[in-house]
Amino acid sequence: MEKEPEKIIELVNVKKVYRMGNEKIYAVDDVSFDIKKGEFCCLLGTSGSGKSTLLNLMAGIEKATSGKILIKGKNITGMSENSLAKFRQRYLGFVFQAYNLINSMTALENVEFPLVFKRVSPKKRKRLAKEMLVKVGLQSRLGHKPKEMSGGQQQRVGIARAFVAKPEIVFADEPTGNLDTKTTIEVMELIKQMARDNHQTIVMVTHDRSLAAYADKVIHILDGKIQSIEVNDGQGDEQEHLKEVSQQLLMDRGGERFADGRERPGGVKSVTAAVVKPVPVREVTIRNKEDSV
Amino acid sequence: MRISDLLKLAFRNLMRRKARTALTVIGVVIGTISIVVMVSIGFGVNKSFDETIMQSGSMTIIRIQKYGAVFDENGNYVDSREQVLDDSVVEQIRTIEHVKAVSPVIQKYVQLECGKYQSGVTLYGMDCEAFEAFEFPALQYGSYPTREHPATVVLSPQSMQYFYNFSGRNYQEKSVDPLTEEVVLKFQEYQTHPRKKQFELSLSDVAMMEETDNWEYSYNIYMDIEYFREIWQKYANTLTLEDRKRAVSSVANYEEIKINVDNINNVAKVQDEIEALGYATYSEMQYLEPLKETSRMLQMVLGAIGSIAMIVSAINIANTMVMSIYERTKEIGIMKVLGCLVRDIKRQFLLEAGLIGLLGGIVGIAISYVLSFLINKYGSGIMGSIVGTETTGELSIIPFWLPFAAAAFGMLVGLLSGYFPARRATRIRAIEAMKTEG
Repeated sequence: MEKEPEKIIELVNVKKVYRMGNEKIYAVDDVSFDIKKGEFCCLLGTSGSGKSTLLNLMAGIEKATSGKILIKGKNITGMSENSLAKFRQRYLGFVFQAYNLINSMTALENVEFPLVFKRVSPKKRKRLAKEMLVKVGLQSRLGHKPKEMSGGQQQRVGIARAFVAKPEIVFADEPTGNLDTKTTIEVMELIKQMARDNHQTIVMVTHDRSLAAYADKVIHILDGKIQSIEVNDGQGDEQEHLKEVSQQLLMDRGGERFADGRERPGGVKSVTAAVVKPVPVREVTIRNKEDSV
Repeated sequence: MRISDLLKLAFRNLMRRKARTALTVIGVVIGTISIVVMVSIGFGVNKSFDETIMQSGSMTIIRIQKYGAVFDENGNYVDSREQVLDDSVVEQIRTIEHVKAVSPVIQKYVQLECGKYQSGVTLYGMDCEAFEAFEFPALQYGSYPTREHPATVVLSPQSMQYFYNFSGRNYQEKSVDPLTEEVVLKFQEYQTHPRKKQFELSLSDVAMMEETDNWEYSYNIYMDIEYFREIWQKYANTLTLEDRKRAVSSVANYEEIKINVDNINNVAKVQDEIEALGYATYSEMQYLEPLKETSRMLQMVLGAIGSIAMIVSAINIANTMVMSIYERTKEIGIMKVLGCLVRDIKRQFLLEAGLIGLLGGIVGIAISYVLSFLINKYGSGIMGSIVGTETTGELSIIPFWLPFAAAAFGMLVGLLSGYFPARRATRIRAIEAMKTEG
């Protein structure tokens, strides 16, 4: 047996209750699961299912009503705002649907920003940010402001910003929500590539089933509860797997062809006529007893 | 965050809305100018009061006069009464704390003659050992009398300047140099005995004071009181018997006792103690005090008028900061999620507000100096036509600490008015902030 990878995120009976007048709304209702180090985990659910709230709870942006959230063995539910900020500086990175870049800053400055909070010297952080932007294929757009870039480029800046501080966990909230299919594939492959290079853990929220195929683990959320958890078997060549998934995505959406076979930022050559296999998926656990079908 | 990064970010944010920042800064500039100029005028007025008083004698001097003034309970002069001033009073006063020097004073109006030219001056006889403590000015030549050598007559510059020839036409005027020309001193109070020679004192042993602003040391002549008594006795011997008695009794007691206090702040205290002994006193300070009170009031009123503009500019800063926070809500949310400490967000906004205040303060001070210069150059004429008297001194005085105080005050106003907006910024919740447009 291989040594079991450590649990990096652990949720125990987490609840989040909102009050709307007299009514109580259970955005997250007694959820427990864990994510292992280096895993690509996807929270899949329709809008209003509570998946984004769950992500915000894990990132410490929102406070849980009850339950425990352990990240790297530390319970973040009881942390002060100050130590949470420091925690985020050290361990977490974020990719957002709306990119959330700062419009008055250039791409380079945006990527530098998390390092500014970490008191990294200006020289060092400029170098790191530049390296990162080169990695995402934006070496020619360092001095451009977000408004001067396309959505895909903006999201790549966002990814560079999320990864620049080498965080152990990157949270991605609908990272491709505003992008077309072609760019979606580029962005997804980029995230996957980055995470694999540094053995980072990704937690992604999406409503798009076909994106879930990129994940190692898919947690289905409905009405604030876990419906099921799937684990994609990590067998076979990973590169090969990535290609297949991307191809499948293209087919699903019936979108534009990715036909030229040019080098994409993720370094993956597009495949025009690959055999499309169904993604191997294995049903594993159903935690929520009431919900078990 | 590093201080340098905070500063850079604050500058960048201020430059993002140049017009708004400039307008807010102008508000602080106006506030600073109004405070600095108003306070400087207050200082100018105060100083010209001081100078006026200084010209009429030293501020630390208290006098007990033979005819002391009697005041009613409202401070109005009602009468005068005669007080007996002798050596026992002098000794009594010498023991009071903070008294630096005490001297009895005898004062006689005398005539100086130089050939056909004459001049009338006041002669003061005082204790020669107290001269130094009374801050007599330096001498142009000669030396002050001492116990061993009491016969020196101390002249003041003006006392030698206005000699007139009354017998000639047109009252010719001339100045006399006592070193080269013979000057004689004569008393005039009583008729000389018909069979005796009129008393004359030739001024051969003299000292000359330097020019000063203090009129006391500009027109009078001084000698040691013991020496005065000696020559007065000689003078009395030339009089008729009746007059001689009167003359002798007129100097038996003193006309005045002059007291010098060690510090201007102790004058009122010493004066009270002497009054408690039962003597009516007089000091320049007691007249300066209400004047000072008036000028203090004036300063406060001017300062208050100035502050109003500053308060308005503080509100202006607060408004700018609140607007800025509204605009940057999303940015604040992003910063929070990216791991920016709450402390740093607060600092950033405080820094921006403080910079506005500091910048406005500095510009305001620079303009204030220009205005102060213009007021001093052209203002005294205008003021003179309003008040009626031409003021010679400066109308607006900016003491060296005022610019620093104003800059610090500007920054403080910025920080204070930035504090609540900054706190508001830190309370913004990250998720909601990120959802806002902008």
